[in-house]
Amino acid sequence: MAYHSPYRAPPPNNVAQDQTFLWNIFQRVDKDRSGVISDSELQQALSNGTWTPFNPVTVRSVISMFDRENKGGVNFSEFGGVWKYVTDWQNIFRNYDRDNSGFIDKNELKLALTGFGYRLSDQFYNTLIEKFDRQRKGQVAFDDFVQCCIVLQRLTDVFRRYDTDQDGWIQVSYEQYLSMVFNIV
Amino acid sequence: MSFHYGQGYAGGGHRPPAAPYGGGSGPYGASPSAPYGGAPHQPGGQYGAYGAPVQGGQYGHGPGVAPAGHYGGYGGQPHGGHYGHQAPAGNIPPGVSQEAYQWFHTVDTDHSGFINLKELKQALVNSNWSAFNDETCLMMINMFDKTRCGRMDVFGFSALWEFMQRWRALFQQYDRDRSGCISGTELHQALAQMGYNLSPQFSETLVRRFTVPRGRPGIQLDRFIQVCTQLQSMTQAFREKDTTMSGNIRLNYEDFLSGAVTRLM
Repeated sequence: MAYHSPYRAPPPNNVAQDQTFLWNIFQRVDKDRSGVISDSELQQALSNGTWTPFNPVTVRSVISMFDRENKGGVNFSEFGGVWKYVTDWQNIFRNYDRDNSGFIDKNELKLALTGFGYRLSDQFYNTLIEKFDRQRKGQVAFDDFVQCCIVLQRLTDVFRRYDTDQDGWIQVSYEQYLSMVFNIV
Repeated sequence: MSFHYGQGYAGGGHRPPAAPYGGGSGPYGASPSAPYGGAPHQPGGQYGAYGAPVQGGQYGHGPGVAPAGHYGGYGGQPHGGHYGHQAPAGNIPPGVSQEAYQWFHTVDTDHSGFINLKELKQALVNSNWSAFNDETCLMMINMFDKTRCGRMDVFGFSALWEFMQRWRALFQQYDRDRSGCISGTELHQALAQMGYNLSPQFSETLVRRFTVPRGRPGIQLDRFIQVCTQLQSMTQAFREKDTTMSGNIRLNYEDFLSGAVTRLM
């Protein structure tokens, strides 16, 4: 199987079918037939369910996760991973967007992130909503939700690397701090 | 008991989709609001432990002075003022230079009276003719979008125009070999001149991280602007925590998160 699935392999008898299905999607998304899906091609293919363009930064984050050779896009074998990643997020998002509005509010965001295991203050949720609510509705759309989770995950990973005694506190120098936030350690 | 960050995934229920090999590039997203804006106005280079751009000063916008992204400027911007003040000059709003005004109408392709992300991206190019990346465009819109609606009016655009001109001049100045991009060594020299006390390795790492796929090693103008602006902002964040100016800070998990989230986006 060309693409690997991080935590749930599809049943073996569906593999061929899945590949055909994915190939059809891939060809539709790869508008210039280059064999590589670029940021803008993926952006056009994705929907956040609110009739606004999909957050380009989310697109970049997702592509960079699967783009092995740093070619600025994903080929067919990598696209399987992208597709699965996005649909997994969609399923999670739908769980919390109970009224199917395409947005989740602060309480729903809190439920979602608490479900992932985050323990964060109420005030910090206000910050998250304020920062990731691109459409200024006081709620977060799907694309922005994904970006919010990606950012939190990256920051948590880098913090954890410095917090060797796991007490929730770190001591860092100026340059270490900058390296952490630029996520380049 | 050890501290619980989250992401224990214990429950198994709703875990976030796993990325195969970590999140690659792309600094923390885009998104609203612009703390970059009111860029830190440091008093001078007193801070031994870590430098920072010296703003203004008697040399004005001379070499080594990083442009600050402040809105406050327009209205009374001295730059290009002599154009603006001349005669009737159409309906150019006060404080907006004729050049910026003309560009505004060229860039505003849908004639909405505002510049959105798409229009800005179409208008800005690096020295190798590549379009500016989305992150830098979003960052700049957030800096100059006074109304927080994701687009700039003519005043915001005019301020952005000045901001861009200054960064472009600095970029050209620091691109010593005229290659059209800034190498790790050049970035290190640039940051040192701006007053930052950072290792050459730090600049090398930044350049590696922001080199475009399959391009020559070095950063283009868009990344240069992004890196320098964020460096300014994060230095300010560090400084606020480093009350004793020891060059070291102690901070907890949520402080770290909110510092990065509020300042980087």
